[in-house]
This record gives sequence, structure tokens and C-alpha cells, in this order.
Amino acid sequence: MKTKSSRPNHTVRTIGLMVGLWCGLAIANAGWAAFGDDLEKPKPEFTRQEERMAAKLIPRGKSSSVLIEFQAAGGRLLGIEGVDFDPAGQRGMDAKDFRSDLFAVTAGGISPGGEVKLSLSSNYFTQATELWVLNRASKTPWLPAGAESIERPDRVQELVVAVKDGGPLDSDGASNGEIVLIVGPKDSFWGYALGTLFIRFFGVFLVLGVLQAGMLLAGQVFQALDRRKETPKFAAVRTTALGEEPEKVSEGIEAEAATAIGVALHLHLAALRAEAAMNLEPSDASSWARQGRTQIMRDRLLTHDRAGRK
Amino acid sequence: MTWEYIGDLILSILYTQTGVPNLEVKQLIMLAISGLFIYLAVGKKFEPLLLLPIGFGIFLVNFPLVPLMGYTEHGTPELIRAFYKYGVEWEIIPCVIFLGLGAMTDFGPLIANPKTLIIGAGAQLGVFVTYIGVLFFGFTLKEAASVGIIGGADGPTTIYLTTKLAPHLLGANALAAYSYMAMVPLIQPPIMKLLTTRYQRKIRMRQLREVSTREKLFFPLIASVLIILLVPAVAPLMGMFMFGNFMRESLVVKRLSETAQNALMNIVTIFLGLSVGATMQAEVFLNWKPLLIFGFGLIDFVICTAGGILTVHVMNLFLKDKINPLIGSAGVSAVPMSARVSHNMGIQEDPNNWLLMHAMGPNLAGVIGSAAAAGMFIAMFQ
Repeated sequence: MKTKSSRPNHTVRTIGLMVGLWCGLAIANAGWAAFGDDLEKPKPEFTRQEERMAAKLIPRGKSSSVLIEFQAAGGRLLGIEGVDFDPAGQRGMDAKDFRSDLFAVTAGGISPGGEVKLSLSSNYFTQATELWVLNRASKTPWLPAGAESIERPDRVQELVVAVKDGGPLDSDGASNGEIVLIVGPKDSFWGYALGTLFIRFFGVFLVLGVLQAGMLLAGQVFQALDRRKETPKFAAVRTTALGEEPEKVSEGIEAEAATAIGVALHLHLAALRAEAAMNLEPSDASSWARQGRTQIMRDRLLTHDRAGRK
Repeated sequence: MTWEYIGDLILSILYTQTGVPNLEVKQLIMLAISGLFIYLAVGKKFEPLLLLPIGFGIFLVNFPLVPLMGYTEHGTPELIRAFYKYGVEWEIIPCVIFLGLGAMTDFGPLIANPKTLIIGAGAQLGVFVTYIGVLFFGFTLKEAASVGIIGGADGPTTIYLTTKLAPHLLGANALAAYSYMAMVPLIQPPIMKLLTTRYQRKIRMRQLREVSTREKLFFPLIASVLIILLVPAVAPLMGMFMFGNFMRESLVVKRLSETAQNALMNIVTIFLGLSVGATMQAEVFLNWKPLLIFGFGLIDFVICTAGGILTVHVMNLFLKDKINPLIGSAGVSAVPMSARVSHNMGIQEDPNNWLLMHAMGPNLAGVIGSAAAAGMFIAMFQ
């Protein structure tokens, strides 16, 4: 009894010790915590192919790289570079929503005040992907670009945005024949996280459900095969049973022995049940009263004791 | 040669070639942590096969200037770095452990009652709830997935997924997984009691049918086909698991099967434990994340246990032959500990109700379920 009650105490103490130690070291070391660092910041590599430019990067929450192609209609792409998502300039925007980074796209070759149509295309984008523009000079630095989303037959999504030189989307703010657009494809982080949560969770059910169906089917096939195999054996047993050896039920055991085992098991289990029934909860009565009750019960039981009766 | 020169020489030797002057407080903290885990393994016998090498790994790498987890000037990995690089980073050891586990596993109870597979799926609830929970605390998607899988209560799967998605959390995740697996007999019973009535705990299940050797032989092949077709990302783990089981059930490669179960398993366990422990160097380990991982790991286990039990309740609404909800908690894998917990809880209510073999079904389903969940996460980030 003593060991039983002391064991949980020990365990609680051990768990308490672990948690306490962890809390201690966490508080003591909160100073150099790497918590909240942008560990997955994409590092795009840019390549140029004639009038097109492409960024190869590993987006946040991915293990493999994706390709984003940039093209400018009505102008010429001069250069693209990755932009740090600085916390000061965020103003309510979350870097996590911009899984494939921000880009500063410079386009030229247009008349001052003219317009260029910039397109970003990738098989990483979905129909829900939006383009957002950061213009630090503007009163509202973050603006939806109002991009047109086109689904191409090769499963590539193309986002097209028209940018006017010196307009609200142009970061340099001047009508100088050059456009600087700080733009990023935006997907709802929580939408993605929750959506994928449900899909993956039910995916596990689907996988195990299919496996269950497969196993039930295979089980029935194997059982049928086994039954077919055993049928001649049973037929042989039945023939013998009708003939000369009536005692043998099957290969191993005789009917009499089986009955004996059955009776023995029944008696054993009945005794266990009786024992459990006799195990009464102690009442509040005094020891004197309890002894009296026991005596009365014993006397009553004697009445039913067939073996002891004469 | 002057006395000053000799003094400088001694000081230089002391600072560059001995550990004492370089010992930092954070390393002392890590040494204390290693002591705790060694104590839990030796004194409390909590998962000693893994917590002991992990604890010793933490102990070894937290001395200053030790050439264990770095690289030499020529770029050659130092001792434990080599174990880590080729065993863990190359994702070999977790798969080899799955091979051994497969060779040890008798799928009979699962084959006899395939319905229990659904319980294994339901018991993954905590994995996904924790995945969302830790995102609120600033974890990245990959980190969240690697923390979530702790609730699957499957050490090799946790290590495999964490190595793939968030290797910097390997030490904390592995330690949380193995610590809570050891504490399954403490964590699960209160939840089991809370979510079941006395009447439900007394439900007797129909005896499992006999499973032929032919069925057992074909199971790994059928399971591999179905699982790998649906979740190809899980092929390394499931492939090895089923290969190990096929060796066992084929009965023709007894030597190979025994090697996978014993010698090979023991060897890789040593390297795995040391390598995982060695990732927990003070400078990378001491921050808020391990604390949160431990906190969420516990919640994860609780929700997974509840998920398994609730799945049984839902199944019982539709089944003629009712399932004892106590076996639902075994869906968290932690083979065979959680099955034993289910059995013991059943025995407490009815001494003649033997649930062990019934609980082994969801227990094995839990292994497949957690591997499937890991595969889902890997596929998500591909």
C-alpha cells in the first residue's frame, strides 16, 4: 500500500522537476532566444533570358524551389531584386502571407507617364494568390495591385498588373520613363494552414480507410481459400464420426475431456465472482456490530449449505 | 626565456587547449539537463534505451572545445558529427529502425480486426491540432509540423520528419517524444477515465479470429501497395517497415529477421541516441522553443489519446459489436506501452476482460497512421 501511494508522488516530483528546470533555463536564456526570426526567408536567384527574367527561390513553408517568371509588356525589364520585409514598414502586414518574398522590379523603355503591363507567372501561384504593392511614399503603403489572374493550360497561374509611370504603384513617384514596383504575391497564411490541416487530417483517414477496405477484402479472400482447403478435412471427420469412433470430436481432444475443462472453467469463474460479491465495502458500524452481522450471515449461509446438511 | 614568457605560454595553453577557462553558464545548464535525462533513464527506467544515449550525447557535447560535433580543418566530420551526418541527416537511421520494428511486429491483431485502423487515424487528431497551436506562437509551418508529429508517439517518425523539415529542433522534438512516450502510463489513464463511463470500460469484445500465416505474409505487400500509392512520400519509412515484417513472416530468412530485430536495431539505436543528444548544444538549444515544444508535446499526447477514444465512441454508434473505448487510447502508437495501459485499465473494471490483443490493433494502426501523417506533411512541403 505504501509503495502504491508513494509512486505517483515520485513521478509528479520528477515531472515537476523537469518542467521547473525547463522553465528556469528558458527564462534565464530568453535573452538570446532565436524566437520569431524569419528562418525561412526566401533567397531568390535571378536569371535573365532575353526579355524575360526569372526568380528561383524556396518559398516559406516549402522544401523545394519554385520558379517565378517576370515579363513586361509595353516596356523593358531593367532589373529585379529581392526586398527585405522590414518590420518597420510592415504596418499590419505579415511576412508569412508573402511566402515567395517581395521583389523590386524596375522597368524602363516607356514614355514618361506611360504604362507597362507587368506579369508574374508560376505554377506555385493559385487562383487565390493576389499581388500586393508596397509604396513607402504613399499614405497607405500597402496596396492591392488589382492584378488580373489568368490560368494557363500548363497549370501555370499568371498575374498581370498595369503600372502607370508616376502612378500610385510606382515607388519612385516620378514620371521619368522608369517604373519601380515593389510587389509580392500574397496568399493567406492562416487560410493555407487551416485548409491544409483539414485536407491532411482527413487524408490520414482516407489512407487508413483504403487500407482497411483492402484488408477486409484480402481477409475475405484468404478466409475463403482457407475454408476451401479445410472442407475435405471436415468431411473426413464427419464420415469417421458417423462410423466407428463416436468419442472423437476433432483431432486433439475428446468430448469427455472438453466437458471436464468446461466445467472446471465455469467453477473457477463462479468462485471468482462469489469472492468479488463477498468483498463488501466497510461501513461506519463499530467492530462489535460488524462481528455480529458476520455471525448472522454465517448462520444464514449454513441453511443453504447443502453439503453440510444432514 | 623569461618568466613572463613562460607565464604567457601557460595562460595560452590554458585558454586554447583546456576546457576549464572556457566553460560557460549555459554549458553548465546543459550538463544539468543531461544529468536529468540520464537520471530518468537509469533511476526511473524511462525509455532507457533511448534516453540514456541521448542524455550521454548531451553530456558529451556540452564541454568546451570538444572535437565531437564540428568539422576538422579538412572538412572531415568529427566523431558524433559523422554519426549524425551519415545516420540522421542522410535519413538512414530512422528508416533502419523502422526495418527492425517491422521485423518485430506481429500484425495479427490488426489483420484480424481491420476496423481498428480507423482508430489509428482518429488518434492523429493531436498532431494536427498542435500543428495549428504552435503556429500561433510564431513557429514556421515546417517547425509546426515537426512539433505536431510528437503526438504520434513514434520516435523514429518524429526524428525522420524533424530531420527533413526542422533539423534545428531535432533534439527538443526527439527528447519530448521519447519522454512523453515513457510517461504514457501516467498521461493516458486520467483522460481515458474522463472520456469513458464505467459501463463502456466493461465492454467485452468478441475474440479475434485466427489469422493464417498466408494472410500475415501478404499483409506487408498489400499494405505497401496501398500506402505508397496514396502517400509516396512515406515510402522510405513504410517500405522499410513492411520489408522488415515481410522478412519475419516469410519464415525463410530467420537470420536476417533476427539481425534486424536485435543486433542491427541495437547498433543504430546507439548511434541515433548519441547523435540526437549531440544536437543539443547550449548555443543552439537554449531558447524558448524547447520549452514550448515540451508544453505542446504534452497537449499533443493528450489530444491524440482523446482523439482515439472519441473515434471509438463515434464508431460504436454504427457498430453492432461494440468496441471497448479504452483501446482507442492505444491509437497513439507508443507500441506496446499504450496497449498495455488500455489492458490494465480494462482489468481494473473487469478482471476477466482481456483487452491486450484488441488494443494491439489500434496500436499498430497508430504506427501506420503517424507515418501517414508524416508523409502528408512531407508531401505538403515538397
